[in-house]
Order: sequence, then structure tokens, then C-alpha cells
Amino acid sequence: MRVDEGEVRGVLGPNGAGKTTMMRILTTQLRPTSGEAWVLGYHVVREASRVRRHIGYVPQEFSVWSDLTGYENLRIYAKLYGIPGDRRERVVWNMLDFMDLREAAGRLVKTYSGGMIRRLELAAALMVSPSVLFLDEPTIGLDPRARELVWSKILEYVKEYNATVVFNTHYMDEAERYANKVTVINRGAVVAEGTPEELVKLVGESSVARICIDSGVEKAVQLLSRVPGVVLLSSKNPLVVRLDDAERGMVQVMKVLVEGGVSVEQVSLRNPTLEDVFIKLTGKTFEEAEAESFRAVSAARRAIRKGG
Amino acid sequence: MSLRKVLVFVELELRRLRHDPTEVFTRAVQPILWIGVFGTAMNRIRAIPTGSVDYLTYITPGVLMQSTSFIAMAYGIMLVWERESGILKKVLTLPLSHFTITLGRSFAGAARALTQLFVILMVALPLGVKIILAPEALLLAMVAVFVGAAGLTALSILLAAFMKTRERFMGIIQAVTMPLFFASNAIYPVEIMPLPIRLISLGNPLTYVIQALRDALVYGAYFDSLYNICIVALFSAGMITLASVALRRIIE
Repeated sequence: MRVDEGEVRGVLGPNGAGKTTMMRILTTQLRPTSGEAWVLGYHVVREASRVRRHIGYVPQEFSVWSDLTGYENLRIYAKLYGIPGDRRERVVWNMLDFMDLREAAGRLVKTYSGGMIRRLELAAALMVSPSVLFLDEPTIGLDPRARELVWSKILEYVKEYNATVVFNTHYMDEAERYANKVTVINRGAVVAEGTPEELVKLVGESSVARICIDSGVEKAVQLLSRVPGVVLLSSKNPLVVRLDDAERGMVQVMKVLVEGGVSVEQVSLRNPTLEDVFIKLTGKTFEEAEAESFRAVSAARRAIRKGG
Repeated sequence: MSLRKVLVFVELELRRLRHDPTEVFTRAVQPILWIGVFGTAMNRIRAIPTGSVDYLTYITPGVLMQSTSFIAMAYGIMLVWERESGILKKVLTLPLSHFTITLGRSFAGAARALTQLFVILMVALPLGVKIILAPEALLLAMVAVFVGAAGLTALSILLAAFMKTRERFMGIIQAVTMPLFFASNAIYPVEIMPLPIRLISLGNPLTYVIQALRDALVYGAYFDSLYNICIVALFSAGMITLASVALRRIIE
């Protein structure tokens, strides 16, 4: 896997695929058991301290002290980064302004909303203007408006500093909207890489149909597997199939199902999305793949915010 | 390593303590009982030979160290918590060496523990404990507590690296701190203990911290105090070095 300078790279993969492990290796927290990696030309093991000087990182869990104020958190991080005293205050307040947190700066972080905490964590990661930013699930557990705000801040920063971003996400739409390129990994290996458009083409110049079935899912799967020009992407209800020729294929699918005695509740037809690519490559729907980790991480973040 | 960055961790701890000073007072309950109840009772019956000083004065440094060692040893639980929360992961990606982080956290735990020196003096003085309040005595006492607590905090970081859950960590802390306390000269002179315990107490860092405190605050023997502080410093330096090597294990 190779990420170019100035690129925003989304990393997708089912739970346990190795997204977080990869990010923790790239941020020098873990040593790889095999293989090698470089960040900005620096080796992540041999030149770890150089790597750490140029990166910003936001872990998926939580990276600020909830029993300090927002201002104090940034002040502590600024000192740990070694920002000199004459510049420190200015940097901290600039970051608080940039993240729209000036008014909340004097409040304890445990009183912040999820979105505010994420922006504070981003501020802590951005205050040294890192060339590479690693974000592990940057918007997990946030409502859509907070997600959008977090992303607008990330993109604003990227534009201003021509920074490189590598982010793990479980929101397919974020990968599609914000990433220049997407890497799909499964079981520790890259299974696909490209722009969102290129990846969608992996599903082919075809259409995708979603079929909700009342009963007889197994029977339906059996019947559909014999229809030419139809590829089953998901064999759980609702079924997802790829059709080489949308119009004719749909008629054929319906005919086979109805004649086979399967009762169809609803059918929808659409162009393929990244989600279909994901299903094709990993054999899982994205919800299945991520639901479990999403619930665990969201619960952990809530608990941590309350001070455990 | 930069000392300035080490001290940032102390600042962090003091800021947290300012927002929530509960620990300073809850940790004072036990020593108040030791001095106020146990000490006063034992003082009256004169069952333990303590030489030229009364029993209450004798145990005050011991109780002080017990209280600070509990705080220092409990500090590791904060790191277990930070491991779960993600803060530790973030801190490990900052431009800091593992040694700086460990030294900083050890000093932070020591700073937290140092608060007990003042709390316990405030409890002990009204009870008639005869403590030398000369600046040099107090300074030596502060150094002794700080150096000792830093080493014990490092020990707790080391234990945190091997005990991955908070429950296990709590268990091991209980299993370490109480024996350390009883196998020391905290509440009785080493000489009246059976030989095996006497030998253990010789290897117990608490014994030296308490002796340094007693030399400074009770006997006014400042050079003896300094000598014992040096022995404690060796222990603490060793612990901090070991803990910094083990730090990576915490997040793996």
C-alpha cells in the first residue's frame, strides 16, 4: 500500500481486518511482526522518533483528559509537543478558534458533546501542523451534523497545509465523499485500492438490485444462483444481486422467484456503490462487518466521557 | 529527554488535582485512624520500644509513607485506564521518548503523593506529635517522599504493563502494598521483628524512606537522612528504567 503526498486516503475493511493495527504500526506504537513501513521516508521502527515529529494522530477511543478543561488539554499537549513558550498561547487559542471551541475552552471536557470532544482531539493533533494525519474512525458515534463539521475542519486543514490524511472509517459515505482514494483491506491484506469511482467499477458496469423477501430466502438463493447474468452479492435478506443487464435481468429474476413460489415483498434497483464493492470483496455487508465494533467503541466513548 | 517535558506530566497531575481534590482527603482517612486511634492507644500502653521518642511521634513518618505509597502504587491504575481510553496510545505517538514518559508519569504520581506530607502533618501536629519543623528537615522529608513515591509509581507502571485489567491490577496492588508496609519499620522498629521479616525489611525500599523521614523529622540527623534518600534514589532509578522498557507492553 502506498499513499501519495497530499492525498486523503480512506481505509475500509471488516472488523478485525487490521485497520487499527496498521494505523498503530504507522504511528510507531506497535512494531510490525513482519513487513516494513515508512512514513515520509522514515522507517517506522528504526526512525520512530523522526516519524513522531511529523505526524498527528487521533485514536478511535479517546485522547484527551476529561477531568481537565479544553484549554488545559491543548496547553498540556502543546508543551509535550515542545511548542516554545512565546508561541504556545497563540497556537492553543488559534486551534480553539479554528475548532469553534473558544467559548467552551474553560469548561471541563466531561461536559462536552461527542462532536466537541472530537474537534478538541483534532485540535490536539493539528497544533504542530503535521504533514501526515492519522485518524482512526474520526467520526464514530457522532450525529450527522457533527460528522459533517468534523470533516469540514479536516478538509480545511488539508487544503491549507497540503497535508496527507489516512483515515479508517466504517461510514461508507464518508469514504466515498471525502477520500481521494480508498483501500479495502481484509484479513490483514489489501484486497482493492483505487478512487471510489474505480472501485465501484469493480462491481462492473452493472446495476444492483435489492430484493426483500417474505419467506424462503434459501430457496430464493438457490433459484437465483442458476440465473445467467445474475451474481449474488449478499445471500441474506434482503438479497443483493448484481445484474449485467438491469432491465432484462430484473424481469428474469422476478419470473424465476415467482415461479419458484418465493414471495417477494419489495424490489429496488440502483447504481452500484462502494458498499457493493465492500460486500463483493469481503463477503460481508458493511453493517454486519462493523456493527459490533461500532457498538463497542461508541459505548466505550460514552463511558470514558462520563469518567468511567 | 527533556526535563521540561517531564515536568509537564507533573503540571497535568496538579491541574487534575486542583479540579478534583477529593483524593487528598479520602486518602487522609486511613492515616488519621493510624495516628489518632492506633497510635494514641499504643502510646498509652508503651508496648513497643521506640527509644527516646514517644510512639505517636515514632509512627508518624511510617504512616505518612504508607499513605503516600498507596497513592503512588494506585497510580498505575490510571495508566491501565488510559490504555483502555486511548490517551496512552496518543501519548506514545508524541515526540517523546519512553523514558521521558515514564519519568514524567512517575514524578506525576510522586507529586500527587507529596500532598499527603502536608495533610498528615496537619493531622499529627495537633495530636502532640513532636516533629522538627525546620526548613531543612521539611525539605529533606519532601525529597524523601518524592523520590520514594516516584520509584513506587514506576513499580506500579511496571505492574500495569503486566496486569492488563483493572481488577487484576487492584488485586496485585493490595497484595504488594500491605506486605511492604508490615515488612518495614513503619509501625515498629525492625529489631523486634523475627529474622526473616528483618531480612525482608532490609530489601524493602519503604524502610529506607521511613528511616530518611525519621532522621529528618524526628531525630534531626540530616546527613543520615540524606544517606537513606540516596539508597531510595537507587531503587527508584532502577524502577523507572525497568518501567520505561516495559511501557510498550501496556498498549500491546
